[in-house]
Amino acid sequence: MGLDRRAFLGLVAGGAVGTMFTPIPWKLIDDAAIWTQNWSWIPKVPKGQIDYVATTSKLCPASEGLKIMRVAGNPVSAAGNPDHPLSRGGVSALARSEVYMLYSPARIKSPMKRNGKTFAPITWEQALIEMSEKLGAAKGSVASISGDATGTVNEVLTALVGKLGSAGAFMMPGEATSAAKALKLMGAQGQAGYDFENADTVLVLGADIFETWGTSTRNRKAFGATRPAGAKPASNYIYVGPTRNNTAAVCDQWIPAAAAELGVVAMGIAWHLLKAGATSNAPGFDTFKAVVNGGFGPEDVKRATGIGGDVLAGIAKSLMASKAALVVTGSPFGQGMGAAPVIAGMSLNMLLGRINKPGGVYMLPELASVVPGALSRAAMLDGDLPAFLKGVASDKTPAPKALLVYDANPAYGLPEAATMAKALEKIPFKVSFSSFMDETAALCDLVLPNSLPLERYDDVATPYGSGFCVYSLVRPIQKPIYDTKTSADVLLALARKLSIDLKFDNFQQVLKEKVASLSKASGGFVAKDVMPWQVAAGKPAPALVGGDLWKALEAGYAWTMVGQVAQTGMGFAAEVVAKAAKAGKPAAGATLAPYAQLRTGTPATGIPCQDLTTVPDTELLGENTLVRLNSETAKTLGLKKGQMVKLSAAGVDCQAKVHIFESVMTGMVSAPLGFGHTAFDYFSQGKGANYLSLMAVAEEPGSGMSMWIASEVKIA
Amino acid sequence: MSGQKKEFPITWGMVIDIDKCTGCGACMASCQTENNVEPQRDASNKLRSTSWMTVYELTNGKSYPDHDIAYLPRPCQQCGNPPCVSVCPVIATEKNENGGIVSQVYPRCIGCRYCVAACPYHVRYFGWFDPVWPEGMEKTLSPLTSVRPRGVVEKCSFCHHRWTLAKDAARAAGKDPEDLADGAYVTSCVQNCPSGALAFGDLKNPKHKVHELIKSPYAYRLLERLGTDTQVYYISRREWVRKLGDNYLKSE
Ligand code: SF4
Ligand code: SF4
Repeated sequence: MGLDRRAFLGLVAGGAVGTMFTPIPWKLIDDAAIWTQNWSWIPKVPKGQIDYVATTSKLCPASEGLKIMRVAGNPVSAAGNPDHPLSRGGVSALARSEVYMLYSPARIKSPMKRNGKTFAPITWEQALIEMSEKLGAAKGSVASISGDATGTVNEVLTALVGKLGSAGAFMMPGEATSAAKALKLMGAQGQAGYDFENADTVLVLGADIFETWGTSTRNRKAFGATRPAGAKPASNYIYVGPTRNNTAAVCDQWIPAAAAELGVVAMGIAWHLLKAGATSNAPGFDTFKAVVNGGFGPEDVKRATGIGGDVLAGIAKSLMASKAALVVTGSPFGQGMGAAPVIAGMSLNMLLGRINKPGGVYMLPELASVVPGALSRAAMLDGDLPAFLKGVASDKTPAPKALLVYDANPAYGLPEAATMAKALEKIPFKVSFSSFMDETAALCDLVLPNSLPLERYDDVATPYGSGFCVYSLVRPIQKPIYDTKTSADVLLALARKLSIDLKFDNFQQVLKEKVASLSKASGGFVAKDVMPWQVAAGKPAPALVGGDLWKALEAGYAWTMVGQVAQTGMGFAAEVVAKAAKAGKPAAGATLAPYAQLRTGTPATGIPCQDLTTVPDTELLGENTLVRLNSETAKTLGLKKGQMVKLSAAGVDCQAKVHIFESVMTGMVSAPLGFGHTAFDYFSQGKGANYLSLMAVAEEPGSGMSMWIASEVKIA
Repeated sequence: MSGQKKEFPITWGMVIDIDKCTGCGACMASCQTENNVEPQRDASNKLRSTSWMTVYELTNGKSYPDHDIAYLPRPCQQCGNPPCVSVCPVIATEKNENGGIVSQVYPRCIGCRYCVAACPYHVRYFGWFDPVWPEGMEKTLSPLTSVRPRGVVEKCSFCHHRWTLAKDAARAAGKDPEDLADGAYVTSCVQNCPSGALAFGDLKNPKHKVHELIKSPYAYRLLERLGTDTQVYYISRREWVRKLGDNYLKSE
């Protein structure tokens, strides 16, 4: 709900109008008749013993620790766990919905098999037989897609697919994919972790760090801690990106820049740092310097981005002047970034000497894997799913004979939806392990419902963005409500049926072994009185007190470790940036600048039941989603407020209603993601359009990875 | 605007730091589940949907690039001088309990909606439909708040049931229930906000953080000049946000 000064006056005026038009006398009689009857048709609230149990959110990518209130053993609501380092009592609208989602009308209630255009229920035993036959026949050509970026389930999945003869084991693309590729090209080891708690100046290039990027709840807690209400802030946050999004709304400064130019902006800032004498021993520094000086001087950057040299000089100055500067790069909508902007942003951290330093970027080690033959997370992140599926769609890559989709919804959540759907059609046997009837499940041959996080054992290992290694447990606090199973258990049962040895019989054993391996890692501790960022800042790490780590994890505490992988060859990879970071030509129509929010869920959850109410009518009005552009852009394109328009790109059309909103860069059309579902339930279905489908995938020069950071759209 | 103002020794209040709110809606979702507001399939119709806590988007009204935005979470302002109370013909809403929370007695409400019309902050919601939960979801209802039928007016209660729980806990621990420690009673929205934008406590108790916060030169209340004397304070270092909150005219 937009509320400007006029509308605010309306709040008061509305009161008066309401009084005049209220049809009190008539309605009164009618209503009085209703209340005096008893309210038997209203649900009764449950009675019983109230207790609280801890677990971790798995539906929300911010991986908050949760405290679940139960009544007579039934979970009733979820709150943030104050003892968990990724929550500290906060919770996102998505994590809060974990309980309601148990009863989402979109839940798949039993295993199902395709029967023509519809599905028919089958038993788990039949499903296993069917799968083992089909997968046995497909040996040598089985692919998998996982949408779970943090779970040990990936070890089970990739080990199984590996032993069946993998045609590719992919992760749904996200921020972690771009960052992993960037670090690989820079010759670095580990996963980038951002120490917001100890940083004092934070330059955010694109990443929506307080909404969808990384450990957003923890990021906001860290931000809030340096912002005493109404007093002078103890931190300085600068946001660079195409819109004043949820993150920029609370930052100290917003610098408008197109998502595709973020790499150029970073290199432009590097120019000022170099001029002020910044230097580095890291490999490739000389090339980096030459590249920066050769093409990213103030004039070049101004031409490409419209940002004046004085602005970038100012940023460089505050970064250099601060004790603990941090540069974070990411896509404003959580995917499609490419590697070069991340490399450029990371180069700033290197120039500022911020690698493996408190308040800087820690290179975090990956936790040891326990399932033999499993792919490491780094190896999974190296796969390029959009490129693979595009190849399949165009017959350049042979279609795999079978595909296992775990907790992922590629038919909805990838760019170029039409191409992706075409690729999926070419795969003869597809299985979806999903909890909800999503767009991908609807295309599959077998749908094998995964129990929801509150019904299963699962885990969360170091979500992308976390500044420290962290491991927490997800545990069942309620029996499965429907005929669902933990997918990892189903995969292990399948392996047995196929006579494949994965070492474990059930997933709980896998998790126990994982936890056992953690207790051997040196430097790890349970975050209770001492938090990992305090250890990063110099406090001694407590010992991992003997006793039962598993028990501590079940009680909702997290195992943490301030990790740093010593870097031997981390260099600048300036050649990659030189090829990729070039000014794009201005779009003839407008450039799409999508944004995502946790309240509209993820592609795997749809819009959580309880969250639709939180979506303002400037985003969804009736059945239409609104796109935002500033008045200048609207004028150029001849568009008016409230007008219905058609956005076209990548051979796809999407409806939209025009919302004039001045916190969008000129030439950009900002569009909400998370809408336009054709599957799921009435909370998600048929509400607005999926603007991600308008985005075209291109190959990023220099890195060769798929990117879709911006697309030109026609508006009519 | 209404009758005499009552003073209460305990005055529960909320302080909302607008400079920290990112507009995520977690407070809204928290309130809904805490207080048994049903998930609404047609929630995009804001004239008929219910949301005791609503996050408004404020703008400074300027064009790009001078445009600025802020988010304003709006619970019931719990007026010291509530316009809604004096217009209620059946005394379904009152301000007479210690704590200064404006009550709403559902079984007594006749749905006339005078209070809806009288509230300058639009915090009152009329239930147009009987609440219906998707099958099975009624198991997730909170036992601590009643479910309201269609036809009555409902609103934020500062999660009043939590105060009762906090007092019980204090009694059980042998402490004075009338002198709760800071944080012993916090509302659901305050507890769950990931940004720490919301604070809650006894405005009159010097041991509570909010007592200090409301003295900040950046603190203000909505439509202060109406004399409603609300118990919800906002804080912003941005002058335009503060001015907007008190409904300044352009000429001022
Ligand atoms: S939860 Fe906090 S940050 Fe989110 S909208 Fe509410 S007050 Fe703002
Ligand atoms: S105080 Fe309680 S009832 Fe009021 S808005 Fe917050 S959560 Fe809702």
